Amino acid sequence: MVINDEVALRMEGITKRFPGVLANDRINLDCRKGEVLGLLGENGAGKTTLMNILYGLHQPDNGQIFIDGVPASIETPAKAIQLGIGMVHQHFKLVEALTAVENVILGMPSQRPPFLDLDPARVRLLNLCEDYGLYVDPSTEVWRMPVGQQQWLEILKALYRDAKLLVLDEPSAVLTPAEGEQLFKAIRKLSQEGRSVIFISHKLGEVLEITDRITVIRDGHVVGTIPTKEATQHELARMMVGRPVMMDRKSRPTMAEKEPVLIMENVSAKDDRGILALKNFNLTVHSGEIVGVAGVDGNGQRELAECIVGLRKRTGGSIRIQGHNVDRVIDDPSFVGYVPEDRHKTGLFLDLTVAENMVIKDYSRPPFMKRGLLQYNAIRKHARKLIKDYNIRTSSEEVEVRHLSGGNQQKIVVARELNAEPVLDVTSQATRGLDLGAVEGVHDTLLSERNRGAAVLFISTELQEVMSLSDRIIVLFRGEIMGVVEGEGADVFTIGKMMLGHASEVAA
Amino acid sequence: MKKTRKLQEFIALPGLGQLVLSGVRPLIGILLGLLTGAGLIALTGVDPMDAYAALLEGSIGSPQSIANVLVRASPLLLGGVGVAIGIKAGVWNIGTEGYMYAGAIGATAVGIIPLPVPPIVHIVLAILAGMLLAAVWGLGPAYLRAYRGVNEVVTTIMMNYVAIFFTSWLVHEPQPMAEPGSFFPMSKILAPTAKLPILISGTSLHPGFIIGILACILFFLAIRFTPFGFRTRMLGANPEAARYAGVNVKRYIVFALVIGALMGGVAGATEVMGLKNRLFMDFVAGVGYESVAVALLAGGNPLGVIASALFFSALKAGGATMSIQTGVGAPMTIVIEALCVLFVIAVGYGERKRLERVDKAKKEGEEVKKYVS
Repeated sequence: MVINDEVALRMEGITKRFPGVLANDRINLDCRKGEVLGLLGENGAGKTTLMNILYGLHQPDNGQIFIDGVPASIETPAKAIQLGIGMVHQHFKLVEALTAVENVILGMPSQRPPFLDLDPARVRLLNLCEDYGLYVDPSTEVWRMPVGQQQWLEILKALYRDAKLLVLDEPSAVLTPAEGEQLFKAIRKLSQEGRSVIFISHKLGEVLEITDRITVIRDGHVVGTIPTKEATQHELARMMVGRPVMMDRKSRPTMAEKEPVLIMENVSAKDDRGILALKNFNLTVHSGEIVGVAGVDGNGQRELAECIVGLRKRTGGSIRIQGHNVDRVIDDPSFVGYVPEDRHKTGLFLDLTVAENMVIKDYSRPPFMKRGLLQYNAIRKHARKLIKDYNIRTSSEEVEVRHLSGGNQQKIVVARELNAEPVLDVTSQATRGLDLGAVEGVHDTLLSERNRGAAVLFISTELQEVMSLSDRIIVLFRGEIMGVVEGEGADVFTIGKMMLGHASEVAA
Repeated sequence: MKKTRKLQEFIALPGLGQLVLSGVRPLIGILLGLLTGAGLIALTGVDPMDAYAALLEGSIGSPQSIANVLVRASPLLLGGVGVAIGIKAGVWNIGTEGYMYAGAIGATAVGIIPLPVPPIVHIVLAILAGMLLAAVWGLGPAYLRAYRGVNEVVTTIMMNYVAIFFTSWLVHEPQPMAEPGSFFPMSKILAPTAKLPILISGTSLHPGFIIGILACILFFLAIRFTPFGFRTRMLGANPEAARYAGVNVKRYIVFALVIGALMGGVAGATEVMGLKNRLFMDFVAGVGYESVAVALLAGGNPLGVIASALFFSALKAGGATMSIQTGVGAPMTIVIEALCVLFVIAVGYGERKRLERVDKAKKEGEEVKKYVS
């Protein structure tokens, strides 16, 4: 590796605040020429925000970026590209209907306007393919390409613009092992040419293999930067997850009788892209029990929840709830309560009123409907009761949900789903984006659900709350259970490692 | 500070506050449209006040002109409420022109047959036939939209052309529906039993507008008070969440589009049976598209459709008088219509932005309070 001490990028004291969240807190980071820098951190640690600032998608509230030692203000991605920064987002930014070469020249001035100069571009693209061993067919439309090739195309697009600093956000997530090898070869080549690479990943093994140095971010600030040679998986996991804080575990009564409520056997399901996201999944949740599902985002949590409530078709296996073989259960609020992970997208109707949102599943049952007509008095009365019971702050039940704060919106979902005392509660990221008080409220509600005798499946990427709330914790990794841990006395590092896919080491 | 809060609370109140606001927004838009229209009229060298006075006189100046307005409003009411249901459900039904043709074809096919039945039976049969054919017309785009994801705007517009030229073919000899020996291609005349009665002699006022207003009221109540309406509103507000709430999203998309087709069919049927007595090409040139504008002006509210359909037909009816008395061409009324729709949409958009800003400020205020206290 041709690392010299010349610094290609330096970010100094970068601070970015979003309403209610300090996403980046005085972050310092530097990347030398020809260096592969690993950027490691849990979801929501602030990696993406930092990289979006670097690429001109966000403006920092404070701090300075230096490119090649020169202060740079990056207002737009165009400016970032001009400064030699290339970004490969986790979710590709390709135009699916266009061919590879068209995607590559998209946004670049033509040499002979008003015509496109596709032919020279094609030649240059093919040369780049050859140079880096990342092969794509220039005249194939993106939608016809396998995901791996789309990934290559994203990288080639940046190189076509002669990126000196390449940011790869979770590049291996969609790659097969063989493709991963190809990617690593390309990265080594880049580094030999003196280009710098920032490599963002959750996978410790990869980061240890390909990077020269590693910067770990947690809760919006840099925990530390260490040379990869001196790093171990254990050390990195410790840095990512944090100091062994005394977990504030919720006290709870012991439940006398426990009956299996949810039984999943060999359940498989695909994600929206058609890739297997749950693999032969087995799980039993009992009454009076909170089973926490820990794991890094995107390891099958969403598919798990949607399979159980019947929003997603499973490709195999069986799901029984209280002995019933059910395909679609979310319509019956007394059976299953479901708090979906994206309340704006699936949980609420922002343009309907609070009262209407409270009855989106019961509206055709008495007392809300009589003689075929909706009974708004009953609906409003019901809403007023829930507003009081769940302490929802709104000026009236007739206000559109859009006007409420995030915490109060979530309370509406929780109130609606749990009010009918279902036998099974499935919650997915139930506290995401809520302030501390609201989080506490949701936790207390779920605990009282458990004490009432409900079976609770608590899916969250926040390890802290999973550990504080769960009687039993399962760790999801790539659609499989990596391990099961008793909630009482669970060890954060053990779970943290399982989240990163290291089951065997835990046993050792 | 306190005053603004009072105002906000008033606005947030159910019923009155919202009704006032939702009614005020289109009114502001219409006012701006009329003002801009006045400017354009002034540019042609005519005093806008004179022009608008003539317009007013031509629309409500005499019983005849009022009858004229109501006759013109009839297809706009029926077509407009159909489009409005689509808007409520989140689909853009631009096929009303075609449904009107399809409805007219169905009604004419049954209407030209001399049936030995009382008029009421013949009328109902003819209208049902029109609705049936219109529904068939709407079913294709509806199916493609719901189950194949094909954009309904494109398909419904294309189906319009098919309907129009299909009509043209039908009324040409030697098709059985065509009037033999006529110098203009048209269908045979309807049997007397299939004609809608004239309500006021000396005018062409037929009961179509009553059916239209009843339909608007009925759909308003259905949208507000029935599970069907609630599901439709859920679908329009957030299809993903509607699916999660148990709505059969695809089926309801089909419902919404086919209801629009049915209403368009009634509009076409009554137009032939009450006014034209025959079917011919261009018998409702552009009225279907105008229905879309009517529904837009009403913001998708069925009750609003009544007001906006009457407003549009008043402009149309008064336009002729304006043209005769002041020399401002009748097409100016179409310009004014378009301006009103654009301004109503713009005002609605601005209002939404303003509310979003208010909410954001409010939420941020809550955040700050949390940290301070």
